[in-house]
Amino acid sequence: MSNVDLDAKIPNNVNLKDDKRLQRALEKWLPSFQEWWSDMGPSDFNTRDIYLRTAIGVGKGGWAHFDYVKMPEYRWGIFLAEPSGDQKIQFGDNVGKPVWNEVPGELRARLRRLIVTQADTEPASVEQQRMLGHIAPSLYDMRSLFQVNCEEGRHLWAMVYLLHTYFGSDGRDEAEGLLERRSGDPDKPRILQAFNNPIENWMDFFCFTAFTDRDGKYQLAALAESGFDPLARSTQFMLTEEAYHLQTGENGVGRTIHRTAELLKQGKDPRAEGAFPLDLIQRYINFWSSASFDLFGGEDSTNAAEAFASGLKGRYREGDGIYKDPQALNQFYTMERPEGDRMTTQEIPLRRAMNALLLDAYVADCKRIVNRWQRDLTKFDLGLDVTLPSQKFNRRQGVYSEHYFTPEGELTTEADFEKHRDEWLPTTADRECVQSCMIGVQEPGKIANWISPPARGVNEQPFDFEYVKLN
Amino acid sequence: MPRLLYVCEGGDCTERGSGDLHDKIKEQMASFDPNEERVKVRRYPCFGGCEAGINVTLFPDRVFYSHVKEDDVPEIVEHVLGEGKPVDRLTGHVQQDVEEIIWEMLDSPY
Repeated sequence: MSNVDLDAKIPNNVNLKDDKRLQRALEKWLPSFQEWWSDMGPSDFNTRDIYLRTAIGVGKGGWAHFDYVKMPEYRWGIFLAEPSGDQKIQFGDNVGKPVWNEVPGELRARLRRLIVTQADTEPASVEQQRMLGHIAPSLYDMRSLFQVNCEEGRHLWAMVYLLHTYFGSDGRDEAEGLLERRSGDPDKPRILQAFNNPIENWMDFFCFTAFTDRDGKYQLAALAESGFDPLARSTQFMLTEEAYHLQTGENGVGRTIHRTAELLKQGKDPRAEGAFPLDLIQRYINFWSSASFDLFGGEDSTNAAEAFASGLKGRYREGDGIYKDPQALNQFYTMERPEGDRMTTQEIPLRRAMNALLLDAYVADCKRIVNRWQRDLTKFDLGLDVTLPSQKFNRRQGVYSEHYFTPEGELTTEADFEKHRDEWLPTTADRECVQSCMIGVQEPGKIANWISPPARGVNEQPFDFEYVKLN
Repeated sequence: MPRLLYVCEGGDCTERGSGDLHDKIKEQMASFDPNEERVKVRRYPCFGGCEAGINVTLFPDRVFYSHVKEDDVPEIVEHVLGEGKPVDRLTGHVQQDVEEIIWEMLDSPY
């Protein structure tokens, strides 16, 4: 299982060569994927040498190999984390039973939907970001974008492997569908709405990777607990790569705030210097965090209860044994809910609150990153703050949707919300300001004026390293 | 509640070699605790103390190790297994509020 076949047409550690039928099916899917990458992947940089990290194995030292690669030649492959012996289902009604290595018939439809929904986000984000290379603030950032794009492509491979291997002709059809839907296409849109909005500037990209990719981390982490072992092991390895994407966003927003603070400390107006005022950055944080809260689905959900009960999707870090009851029975989750013009509290069975629990873990993580940005901002002694909005603010999904809340989480009226909308969410003028600063910087060691250089380069290389060879 | 030794696998820590560090800790712990009955060694997505990485935490003991290198592993293992004290030179390198947020995140009421 753990031998990595790097020379195969499709690099893998799943002994693909021993399953000729599957190998042929995936080799047939490969040109479709390459065509999709050519049509919908990063625009115009496919002939350039880019200093990329490629996974060449899942074990010690094997997953992070750095070298110059042209993106179409990136070794997308299928890597599952090592099995850890006698695995048991960690939660739900089947707790303690052996994990499944085949899909249980009664869970087939639900599991397929979970995998397809997750898989659909991978190509979607590549499509959303395809034009950003042209306006990258530095070669370091351009390289980060392409690293993220290539790894999202590899994550698509991981999910397609599961669909082809375990779901027969239905799975093959779903795999085709993943390459047919298009982000933002009114006729064939991507499944989740957040993946249908184009990402046209780097402020959106950094917020997306800081907040929306972070939702992906939590969804993957919940699937990594799955009783369906091939899914659990696929997602475990994806999480390792995903950490870099989140860091790209967390550091990117942090570097933007840092630059703004530097200019303010020098007595300069960020706008006049081609950078962003802090209130604009706050509005982007408000928008992207609230849009990402929605991706967790309804806080009170029978679907989530069923996915937990059946052993398909666990709680965050379920396998670490941190929860008092792995079946989550006879426990209740206390939830604030709006009722008319006031808030009430309601207790719901814990199983129905699985989305809410995952969202709580996510929000705690988001507080951690905003706190990190704030610590840096405080060093400038400007008396300014960045904050994470309440998880009730600006929601389109769940118990707080169809109600109006301030960023602090106070219930308010529609009229009051509209009155303050331009203080709380990005305005047309904000977007124009951001767009006007998006000028590509393609010289090693140089960087746009709206963002600070990173604290460290990639793989111990300096910032002025030629991360992308453009000439 | 099991004791959990978490090795950060955030972007910065990963680039500093947290994958190898995790494997080394796991390997050394396995000689004393092969079935992880005393301590589970796991990866953790990010602790947010990136500037002080590689970070390793022991929960629920609330010990936050920073700047950890492979050479530190024997002392950490000794401490974790109850045969040594916390390794003082590796603690106190991240701000207190960063630590507090992490303990809050690790502590589930359910």
